[in-house]
Formats: sequence, C-alpha cells, structure tokens
Amino acid sequence: MTTPSMTADSKMRIPKAVYGLVAILVVIAVAGFTTPSFATLDNLFVVVRAASLTGIVAIGMGYITISGNLFALSASSLGALLAVLFALITAQFGFAAGIALTLALACVAGVAQGLAISLIGNPIITTLAFGTVFRGLAALFSGNSILRIDSDAALWLGTARPLGMPTQSWAFILAALLSWFVIRHLKLGREIVLCGANPQAAVASGLRVGLVTSVVCIALSVGVALMAILTVSQFSQAKADLFMGYDFDYIAAVLVGGIALRGGRGSPLQAAFGAILIALLQNFMLLNGFSAGLRMTIVGLLVVASISLFHVLQAKSR
Amino acid sequence: MKMTAETRGNVARVALMVVVYLIFASRIPSYYSTAGVAALLDSAVLAGIIAIGVGLTMIAGEMDLSVGSMAAFAGILSVKFYAFGMIPSFLMVIAVCAVIGVVQGYCIYRLNISSMVFTIGTLIALRGLTLVISQEKTALIPFDIIAQTDILSKKFFVFSIPSVVLLVLVLAVNFFSRRTLWGREVFAIGGGRSEARAAGVSMKRPIIMIFAFSAALAGLAGALMSIKTGSASPLGFEAVLLEAVTACLIGGIALSGGRGSILGILIGLFTIRFLVSGIAALGAPFWMQSLATGALLIFVIIAEAVIRYIMRRRRFVLAAKAAA
Repeated sequence: MTTPSMTADSKMRIPKAVYGLVAILVVIAVAGFTTPSFATLDNLFVVVRAASLTGIVAIGMGYITISGNLFALSASSLGALLAVLFALITAQFGFAAGIALTLALACVAGVAQGLAISLIGNPIITTLAFGTVFRGLAALFSGNSILRIDSDAALWLGTARPLGMPTQSWAFILAALLSWFVIRHLKLGREIVLCGANPQAAVASGLRVGLVTSVVCIALSVGVALMAILTVSQFSQAKADLFMGYDFDYIAAVLVGGIALRGGRGSPLQAAFGAILIALLQNFMLLNGFSAGLRMTIVGLLVVASISLFHVLQAKSR
Repeated sequence: MKMTAETRGNVARVALMVVVYLIFASRIPSYYSTAGVAALLDSAVLAGIIAIGVGLTMIAGEMDLSVGSMAAFAGILSVKFYAFGMIPSFLMVIAVCAVIGVVQGYCIYRLNISSMVFTIGTLIALRGLTLVISQEKTALIPFDIIAQTDILSKKFFVFSIPSVVLLVLVLAVNFFSRRTLWGREVFAIGGGRSEARAAGVSMKRPIIMIFAFSAALAGLAGALMSIKTGSASPLGFEAVLLEAVTACLIGGIALSGGRGSILGILIGLFTIRFLVSGIAALGAPFWMQSLATGALLIFVIIAEAVIRYIMRRRRFVLAAKAAA
C-alpha cells in the first residue's frame, strides 16, 4: 500500500524540480542572448543578491503553504517593523543584542500569528489584519522618519563577500539546505506535511495543528527577520515603508515554484527555485527597460497562469 | 423575552456602533452637526460600495481580494472615459469591470480553484495593468470641464449623490439577496456547499454573479471617487480591501460563509467610520488610522472565533445532558 503512493509521490516530485531548473535555464539563455548586459559578472551579483533576500522569505512562505495555510500577507510589513526595531535596538544596545532581540521578537510575532490563524481559520484575512498593524507599529516606533545605524559589524554583514559570494546568498543557501533537511528528515517536517495534506487526519492522530501552524509562522517570521537584518545592515538605515509591495514577490515565488496550494505536497526548495526564477525575470525586464507597471502585469499574469496550470495538473494526477 | 441568536448578535453589533459613536461624539462636536454627519456619510461611500460586493462573495464562502486594484483600474479608466460625458463614463467603466468580473468568476468556477488564491493573482495583474494604461502618472480630468464634477460633492441636507447611491445600493442588494432565487442561491452555496449541490443548485450562476457584482461595484466606487476628486492615481485604493472586509465582519458576515446580511454591512461600516474619522479628527497621523482598522479587525475575528468556540462547547454539554 505504501509503495504505489511512494512512486506516485516521487513521480510528482522529480519532474517538478526539473521543470523549475529548465525554466531557470531557459530564462538565462533567452536573457543572455538578447540582452548583452545580462550575462556580466556585476549583474550576476545583483541578481543573486536580489534572489537571495526574496528567497529566504519565500522558503518560509513555502512552509506556510505546505502546512495548508495558503499564504501570509503580512511578511513585508513584518519586515518593515523588524527592520525598524533592529535599527533602534542596534543604536541603543549594540549589534549583537540587535540581532538576538530582533530574532526573538520575530518568534513572538510568529507565535501570535500562528495562534490567531489556527483560532480563526482564515490565514489570508488574519495576516492582512496583522500586516496593517505591523506597518502601523513600524511607523509608530520609527516616528515615520529614517533611522540610521552606525556599526562596522553590521556593515560587514550587509556588504561582505566571504569566498566571493555575498553574505545574503550564504544565508539563502544555508536556509535552503536547512529547510530541505527539516521537511525531509525531521519529524517536525513530516508533521507539517501531514497537517497540510489532511488536517482532519492530523487532528485525529493527536497532532497539535495549532502548534504546527505556529511553527511554520515562526519559520516565516525568522526568514523575514533575516531579510530585515541583512537589508538594514547593507544600507545602514531603516524606515517604515521598507519592503512595500514585496509580498507579491514571495507569493509569486511559491506559486511559480509549483507548491500545491491545497498543502501537503512539495518542498520549500521549490519556493527557493521560484524566487531565483522571479529575480531573473525581474532583472531581465529591468535591463530591457520595461516599466514598473508592465513588470507587475507580467508577474501577475505569470502567477495566475501558474496557479491555473498547476491546479489543472494536480487535479489530473489525482 | 427570548431572542434568536441572530437578533442577539445584531443588537450587540448596533450597541458596539452606538458606543463608538458616543465615545467620539462626546469629544468631537462635529459628530452631531449637519456638515459633520454629511462628511461621515461621504467618507463611508468608497469602502461601503466595495464592501457590498466583498460581502456577497464572503456570504457565498468565497472572497474577492482584487477589489482594491479593480477600483484603481476603474478610477483611471473613468477619468480617461470622461471625455464622453459623466454618465456614459460611469456606465462604460461599470460594464468593463463587470466583464472582467465575469471572466474571473468563470475561471474560478471552471478551475474549481480557491478564489482567495486566484484573486491574489488578479490583484497583482490588475494593479500592473492600471500602471500601464495610466503610464504611471496620475490621471486628471481637464481643467476646463472639471466644474461639472461639483454635482457629486453637492450636499442635500446630510446627503450627497454618492452617499445616496451607497444607501440605495445597500437596500437594493439586501432585497435581492434575501428575496430572490438568485440571491438565496448565494447564501445556499456559502452555508453548505455540498448540501446545496445535492439539492440541485448549480455553482455556475451564483459564483459568476458574485464576482461580476463585486467587480462592478468596485468599479463604480473607484469611478465615483476619482470623478468626484477629478483625479485618479494608479497606486490608489490599496487600503480599501481591509476596511471593506472589516466592515463585513463587524457587520456579522461569517468568514466561513452562509451567514450575515447586506444591511449588517452598514452597521460595520459606520462603526469603522466613527472610529477612524474620530481618530483623524483628534489629530492622529494617517498611519494611526490603518493601525486602528487592523487592530479592530483582529479584535473582531478573534472575539468571533472565541464566541463560536464557547457556543460549541456549551452545545456539547447540553447534548450530553440530554443524552444522559
């Protein structure tokens, strides 16, 4: 009984990762041939850095989707709040305290959202409300002005390139490997998948769905905190309207990566691939002088198309 | 005197609204002057008209998240169409938005996909399209004919044309949803989708209809606001979704679908308006208003979830007693 479902599972899994890689290669090939400035080393760093930050958050968002909670619309606002708090704490108590406290506060925000989602049962509306509150709090704490930090350690974290690769990308790769390990090899990861695949069965078998929801929200919040810390460190400043509108990129990364929206299938790695794809596409469009509106339209249509396509494919495979 | 649970809920909602009103009315004199009430009514028009459409989708157990982008799209379109005259411009915008809504509804019905997810996609795409057709600039009605738009700001006692449109729409859609077959189908597929299906209700008509409604109403609201002010920004109306959803939830429309009424939305709407306008009148910065709306929404949905939990527990106890 387990064998057929295993093969069905691996049949689903292998092509999808390959699709992602093929899509990335196609975009690189098309972009490389049509846009001379695309295939330069400088531009590569730009793409890698952009993909890294989006990717770290997209991995967290992937957890949320796999656990059957669709999306969180509060990621960008939470990023702004954490960025402001990080800047304030760093200015007051130093860099190490800033990182520690920001991560701790991210966990608190994750638990609050996770509990609210499992109580209310509608992740999108819940996180929409939380997002507004986070954004408001960011404005409140920053006094709606630009906060500057002055820390050499932070500057190193934001701009250094150990072994030739930006710190952001190291963080991205580590997060991707960790997420893969958790979802494939830890009991926690399997619990997350079960909660998404069949919530009733998860409750019946004694899983604490509320706890699992909180854990995935913490995963997203920690990803957001990493993004906020790295961004503030890179530019040495934070303000309340940071990351405005980035939520769509994270969602697009998850959707383009092909994580099943019903939950219970896929891996956060797919979201990481999706993030790279979106970053490549954005960069390609930017270099070709597409306007912001056109870029947004294309990403939006891509999202609609990939939702519909994967939905139809999954319906057929059942 | 025994009240039904629904009546009790409605009494509580009206009481909440009155309490919020009284708190601010005691500190802000404009809350009971003619001009002040007219301003409150006018400020409710945008979120109110959109909330009717969002409320319908919520009653059907779906959710249209794309209304903010739709309103911005309609705003730009209405200003571009203004050369044909005010009424034709409204009609054309509503028609275009309704067609988009029909397509959206058909896709959701046909693919049998979660509408919240699908409308997030259209939310992004429509915002992008709005930026493209506006060339990322604020669209303006030509200065020499802008005087025509004054009629929308004119006050008749406490009413203006937009606020009368809002009230008439609420009454009409309320009647439609309660008294007609098409309206009852919306409630039926929200309350118990598999039961409704077993009873022979087709999903196609209600789903396409509600998305056409919410798109057309979002279009009307966006066009009204943009023509009234004589300008439309492609980046506008981003926060309106939150306010519309909050109005629906405070007004007693269940997140799970099937329960609530369009009239209730008015109660929710005015509760928010009293709160937000009050905070603004007391001199708080603009982000304080969205903070208050968000906090109110969290409070309402958590309170509702807790009440539902307690009720279920109590029903279990009663059932256990009856069995024993």
